[in-house]
Amino acid sequence: MSSSNILKVIIAIAIGAGIGLIYGWVIDPIEYVDVTPNILRQDYQIDYVLMTAEAYHYDFDAQIAAKRLAILGSESPAEIVAKALQYANNNNFSELEIQSLQTLLTAMQTYQPQENP
Amino acid sequence: MSKRNISTLYIVLALLFGFGIGLVYSWFISPVTYVDANPAILQADFKNQYRIVIAFSYQATQDLERAKARLSLLGDADPIGALSAQAQQMLAAGEPFEKAQPLAQLAKDLQLGYVSNPVTATPFPTFNTPTVEATVEETATNFTVTPEAGFTSEPTLFFEQTPLIPIQETITPRPTFTAVVSNSNPFNLVGQETVCDPSKQALMQLIFLDSRDNEVVGVEIVVTWNAGESNFFTGFKPELGNGYADFVMQADTVYNIQVVTGGAFVPNISAPTCTEPNGFEYVGGVLLTFQR
Repeated sequence: MSSSNILKVIIAIAIGAGIGLIYGWVIDPIEYVDVTPNILRQDYQIDYVLMTAEAYHYDFDAQIAAKRLAILGSESPAEIVAKALQYANNNNFSELEIQSLQTLLTAMQTYQPQENP
Repeated sequence: MSKRNISTLYIVLALLFGFGIGLVYSWFISPVTYVDANPAILQADFKNQYRIVIAFSYQATQDLERAKARLSLLGDADPIGALSAQAQQMLAAGEPFEKAQPLAQLAKDLQLGYVSNPVTATPFPTFNTPTVEATVEETATNFTVTPEAGFTSEPTLFFEQTPLIPIQETITPRPTFTAVVSNSNPFNLVGQETVCDPSKQALMQLIFLDSRDNEVVGVEIVVTWNAGESNFFTGFKPELGNGYADFVMQADTVYNIQVVTGGAFVPNISAPTCTEPNGFEYVGGVLLTFQR
């Protein structure tokens, strides 16, 4: 095989690889169907934290609230709520919603996880 | 085969090889990563958790429209059915009624279209309440006593009657009161009917009413038979009534019913045999009505 043919083959491989990448990333990317909550869009995550805060307002159970927040990632519940509170303050959440988040934040900051027997 | 054809074949093979490498890289080695997913593609158990949080949040806020909007994010074809099914699964898994009840309540309210059991908001707990030191200042006040003025009434000579206008009273319908179980009077069996409906074969239907004929939600029932027992609650099929529960019987099996909350015991219930006009026989159901 002449050197010009080898070059043509290499170029063909590169073009094929490029088409393959476009197909795999853009045209037909892998579809996720069973995702975990930590990759939810930020506003959905914040709404989930807000719901947890509202639910906490109903039962005042810090342990359950911490458990609910734990599915959002490896950060501590207090950090998760603090971020949500910051988002709420920056995005004109209602006073009641901010108050709910503030109450949950206070609870999470003082919450001590119970040890499993 | 000419040299030119061989060269073209190599190029086509090289293109395919490159395409394969590209696909392997983009699908397996470095696939697209999701960072802004929506709740509809959550794993089933996380969706269940999401529904629970929505239901508990609804218990606190009583905001039905918002709960509905949040549920729609999960992409359930039948959100009410999904809530009811999850509540029943929780009970079947031995979870306490209090944990499943908000789901059933939300399912019921979505079915009705209004908040059926409004609650008074619990005040936020107050932290770090500042201490206020009160200072009392005494101020001397001087009162002057003025003698009362004399009052003279003048007689009215003419009196004209204002014509009476009929008052049109607007009656605003109030939501139906949903009775919640309390340990008061026991339930008694007040009605037992055979149901011959081919669509409800071998179905034991139970309805619980209070003294005002309101359906009672949350009544626990235990059904026992020679091979086992099953317990369930009313209110988990809100589309059929808040005080409704049902159980599928087997033919030729005798069941005993024990109402856990407020104690009636009904022995020897079995599925009756029904006959259609054309002579076709099938296992019928029973409708049991309890009241206290």
